[in-house]
Amino acid sequence: MDALTSLFAGFETALTPLNLLWALIGVTLGTLVGVLPGIGPALTVALLLPVTAKLPPVSAFIMFAGIYYGGMFGGSTTSILLNTPGESASIITALEGNKMARKGRAAAALATAAIGSFVAGTIGTMLLTFAAPAIAEIAVQIPPSAKFALILLAFVTISATFGGSPLRGLLSLFFGLAIGLVGTDLQSGQARFTLGFPELLDGVDFVTVVIGLFAIGETLFVATRLRKNSGSVIKLQGNASMSREDWRRSWKPWLRGTALGFPFGAIPAGGAEIPTFLSYTLEKKLSKHPEEFGHGAIEGVAGPEAANNASAAGVLVPLLTLGLPTSATAAILLAAFQQYGLQPGPLLFITNGDLVWGLIASLYIGNFMLLLLNLPLAPVWAKLLNIPRPFLYAGILVFSTVGIYSLNNSIFDLFLLAIFGLVGYGMRRFDFPVTPAIIGVILGPTAENFFRTAMQQSNGDYTVFATQPSSAFILVIVVLALLLPPILRARARARA
Amino acid sequence: MTQPASPSLPTKPAISWPDLLVAVALTALGIWLFFGTQRIADSGMNTIVSPRVFPLIVSSGLTVLGLLLLVATLRGAKAEPAAEEDTDPDAPVNLAAAGIILGGFLIGALLLSPLGFVFGTALMYFSVAFAFGERRYLLLVAISLIVALITYLVFTRGLGLNLPPGILKGIL
Repeated sequence: MDALTSLFAGFETALTPLNLLWALIGVTLGTLVGVLPGIGPALTVALLLPVTAKLPPVSAFIMFAGIYYGGMFGGSTTSILLNTPGESASIITALEGNKMARKGRAAAALATAAIGSFVAGTIGTMLLTFAAPAIAEIAVQIPPSAKFALILLAFVTISATFGGSPLRGLLSLFFGLAIGLVGTDLQSGQARFTLGFPELLDGVDFVTVVIGLFAIGETLFVATRLRKNSGSVIKLQGNASMSREDWRRSWKPWLRGTALGFPFGAIPAGGAEIPTFLSYTLEKKLSKHPEEFGHGAIEGVAGPEAANNASAAGVLVPLLTLGLPTSATAAILLAAFQQYGLQPGPLLFITNGDLVWGLIASLYIGNFMLLLLNLPLAPVWAKLLNIPRPFLYAGILVFSTVGIYSLNNSIFDLFLLAIFGLVGYGMRRFDFPVTPAIIGVILGPTAENFFRTAMQQSNGDYTVFATQPSSAFILVIVVLALLLPPILRARARARA
Repeated sequence: MTQPASPSLPTKPAISWPDLLVAVALTALGIWLFFGTQRIADSGMNTIVSPRVFPLIVSSGLTVLGLLLLVATLRGAKAEPAAEEDTDPDAPVNLAAAGIILGGFLIGALLLSPLGFVFGTALMYFSVAFAFGERRYLLLVAISLIVALITYLVFTRGLGLNLPPGILKGIL
């Protein structure tokens, strides 16, 4: 039971008054920014990075934990009150929750989302508590060749297997990988693709890429195609609350959604979309009144929201134990670790145990705070949705500027930001997914590193990837993940 | 398996020029990176894998994928613009708005040091809100300055970041 011992030590770290304050600031800021339309969880974390710049690592990560869960909470509020999902994982919530809200049941929809998120987040964090140290122990023995294969698997699943268009996903990934190449090669000291700019010797800062592609790209894209009457926000009377009947109908979907969401987050399978869809389908099948689905069935909010949040906890398993991000948000968290000179992975549990366990403990605390915050404060968040769009997007741009400029106090970074903003516009206009590019930028250098380490251990023998059993096994899955979906699609077409 | 020709000849799909441009640009980027790889020095200490290997893999991959997209586009593939929270898929595309935002951003960035953070970001704020259709100028100027000033104070006083005061040096 040393997981419990470590967890109690983590609570000792997280429960100091100052760290509790950081957790509270984190969940509040996370919810606040997450509620704003057009800002998903990934961008929420990226925009709030500069806020933590001057904090000691433990406090910074306790705050990040709050921001991470807070951004998820905020996103579901927006989906319910505005009929527009901020990200693909909230599509279902937007469909079913907004229908509920239009029927005057906004309070119940918000409550089932908030309480479901709390239940799922808490169970997910418990699973993380016990799974992470066990996996970390195994992960220490994973050879570099298998780690490289694992990263390849993440690349393929995130860009090709679960996307709409594998070709566009892969192109986005390779664009990210290309950006990741820029800078000084750490092993040989050679400059690569710096185009003669000394500012590029350290590479392109990932925050610049993330904020450029997400925030600036979004602002430019929305400006060119502005909806004249921004969606009607549902008026909310009083707090988010549920009747006894709502509770009776919600608790099973919460648990089922959690069971679906957590494993999907923990494997590199492209984030939270799939479990939310699966949860919705499952609830509809099990429901005694399937005809309500599509017209505001509470189960259709409770299940998917739980799945979404459980998957957010699941994502932290590979992130903390292997250093492998399986979603855009996780990739940004990984990069935040790297900014502090920490490399998430099995060794982190040994070298920085207090930090990791403080982070895990603060996930429990943050989840509880979010529940307390969100039920009474729902009407306040609802008001935020009425911010006039010109002022909202202008604020996002100014905030992005602060974040990027304060990295190195250089104007050069702001020009890079503008370039990535243009690229982000292009990606939205031409239907390229943004997440693979982010994963490519952040994991590309890590992949190269493992590749070379493996080659050094085998003395330059390329067959090491095929002869080392675990790497070979993962590579077979990689090939399947790349080839199966198109084959299945072709067969389905042939039958049709 | 030869299909009998359908009575109505299939019309050649129209090629979307913007999509073609994107495909060509991505392919060109791949090729340019591929040749750029040759310029990476191949010396260095203790490298079994040269610093060129990974760039070669990435640039070749990008080129091949770009060519695949090119072929798909020539066959008539066309990208649908994304649907976002605040966008209207049927709205006329207003590229001038994006131009105003970028212009304001770049001028603001250049003015950040000489005039200071507050005026630089106030200009950015103004240009975005203007591009989004806000026309109450007095209100907008006031809000731009207030937002920029509060942001500056929160980040410098509250969080200890170092932002350029510019001409307001000594006052702030």
